[in-house]
Amino acid sequence: MNLENKFRELQNKGEGAHMPHVYYGDPHEEFSLKLLETLVENGADIIEFGIPFSDPTADGPTFQAVCERALENGMTPSRCIEGIKKLRTKGIDNPIVVTTYYNIPYVMGVRKFLDKIKQAGAQAIIVPNVPVEEADVLLAEGKKSGIHPIFQIAPTTTEERLKKITDIASGFLYVIGVEGVTGVRESLGDSTLKLVQRVRKHTDMPLMAGFGISTKKQAAAVVLAGANGAIAGSAYARIYEKNLKNPETTLPEITKLVEQIKQGCIEGYKQRK
Amino acid sequence: MKNGKFGKYGGQYVNEVLMPILIELEAAFEKHYKTPEFQDKLNTLLRDYAGRPTPLYHAKNFSKLIGCKVYLKREDLVCGGSHKLNNALGQALLTKEMGKKRMITETAAGQHGLATAMAGNVCGLETEVFMGVKDIKRQASNVKRIKLLGAKVTPVDIGMGVLKDAVSDTLRKWTTCSQTTHYLMGSTVGPHPYPEIVATFQSVIGKEIKKQIVKKEDKLPDTIVACGSGGSNALGAFRPFIKEKDVRLIFVEGGGESLEADNSAAAFKIGKPGVLHGAVMQVLQDENGQIKPSRTRAAGLNYPGRGPEISGLVDSRRAKSGSAFDNEVFEAVKVMARTEGLIPALETAHAIAYMVNNKDEFDKNEVVVLNYSGRGDKDLETIMRYFNES
Ligand SMILES: Cc1ncc(COP(=O)(O)O)c(C=O)c1O
Repeated sequence: MNLENKFRELQNKGEGAHMPHVYYGDPHEEFSLKLLETLVENGADIIEFGIPFSDPTADGPTFQAVCERALENGMTPSRCIEGIKKLRTKGIDNPIVVTTYYNIPYVMGVRKFLDKIKQAGAQAIIVPNVPVEEADVLLAEGKKSGIHPIFQIAPTTTEERLKKITDIASGFLYVIGVEGVTGVRESLGDSTLKLVQRVRKHTDMPLMAGFGISTKKQAAAVVLAGANGAIAGSAYARIYEKNLKNPETTLPEITKLVEQIKQGCIEGYKQRK
Repeated sequence: MKNGKFGKYGGQYVNEVLMPILIELEAAFEKHYKTPEFQDKLNTLLRDYAGRPTPLYHAKNFSKLIGCKVYLKREDLVCGGSHKLNNALGQALLTKEMGKKRMITETAAGQHGLATAMAGNVCGLETEVFMGVKDIKRQASNVKRIKLLGAKVTPVDIGMGVLKDAVSDTLRKWTTCSQTTHYLMGSTVGPHPYPEIVATFQSVIGKEIKKQIVKKEDKLPDTIVACGSGGSNALGAFRPFIKEKDVRLIFVEGGGESLEADNSAAAFKIGKPGVLHGAVMQVLQDENGQIKPSRTRAAGLNYPGRGPEISGLVDSRRAKSGSAFDNEVFEAVKVMARTEGLIPALETAHAIAYMVNNKDEFDKNEVVVLNYSGRGDKDLETIMRYFNES
């Protein structure tokens, strides 16, 4: 299913979307596949499929460790792309958004990379270290490959930039509610909700809020504020990293969390006037 | 220079949180740098605090050894012991103009951390220095200096605990506090406008060389040799000569132990273009684009990337790149110590080693300026250990 249809379907059902973010290959491929299946079966609407990078400067300590482990265990971009194919073979039909840092597509060749993830079954790409200023190649090649480049909006984004970004964006906008990197945070400051509201005034495009979301309450709050859904990533890694020898044993706890966050996305939507 | 691009290198590959801050920084630099008030403040500090201009010393004994006429541009005499203060003072003044109260930075050799702590105190700004745990150990004397000045030293123990990791963590930290805090980038690396800002502040070196050499030799130098990783001391020396096509520019990077098996920092020899820390650079990486750690005994050259401008100059063949291996570098320290009575920093000793190793490249009548980027006090223990063990 493509992103547009997924967002439409959820809108019709009156639900917010949940997009869990998983870096593929931590601690090994078989677990990542099981983890993604578990997430999808229990509430995930869209998959954010991370391709590990050696120097993830937009990621906090949890995801840094995740990338390091995955790379140590031999994960490569090509094997990740094969992983996307495996998910499709298993019959998982949810939209897949690839996340990685720019050096990965840069070295493979941006067009080749986008074509490959498209063929494997992905719909979009998030490259956190490509702002609009550097996005010409990604936009042009994305159009040819049929991959949406997803842009981010941060609390520091000025009105002028907001307009620039919404003008070129497609798929959805990724609203980073906090000034900082990925990672679990105790409370979701006002800044996230304010930013969602601010961006909402500029565009009807789907908004996904992320960074620091790890609970049902936080998910509900961003959806209530006007986001189409919530992104959570480190929260899941924090659960399975407690037992890296047998990460499968943590799947019940992960199931519970994804159910809750999805429930938050639903409730947030219902609470809207 | 357009949008900070130098051929295929450079750019602004940062996340959206930082992008508006970079735009603001560029505007502030353009607004303030050229004003007479800013120039006056900067020049006064460079003269009265840093000790500029630094001498251009005709090293007769070393010249004889190489077989040409070598001048040393004495950046080791800048207060603090290296060229790093030129940039730190400039950016600290800029930080004040922007109304920010704090500065964060990263350091490897400790020279830039020290320079930032000095500049912070002079300008009344709080300073925090991120430093890899491995570098904290091997550059302990500079860590003591930085702490004595009252700056906070934050150990970085991710990755290998070296410069690359410290830069990553400083960027992460900056993402949380960029509206109140300036990241005082220590070399000509990172996203635009940093490479431009740092090269501009460092180009005081080259401007002085030009005046001094014309006075002494009545002509421009034939060759300038500088060591580097990001390229700040090299570009500082090169910049006023880039358009002077007859002046040879030689850039010497860290060869490490050998060019094999992740034992080197020689990105021009074994790296390729890639995106790291906000810019396209010549960078050490594997075939999939994962950045490889660099290795050299010189902490200040231990970075996998070459800054965008020096990458561009080497790519276009305006500058030539060379490298020196660790053992050659230690020998070069000894050569300089015995010929001229000067103990160079291990970084600087790369430029010296290059000249010692490539004597045939230098003609008898050739006038060479070697940018003597720093003194070796910080490396004394490492140097002694090397000679005692070998
Ligand atoms: C004495 C000295 N020379 C050279 C360097 C290398 O830096 P750059 O390439 O920016 O000049 C350093 C870095 O710490 C240094 O301390």
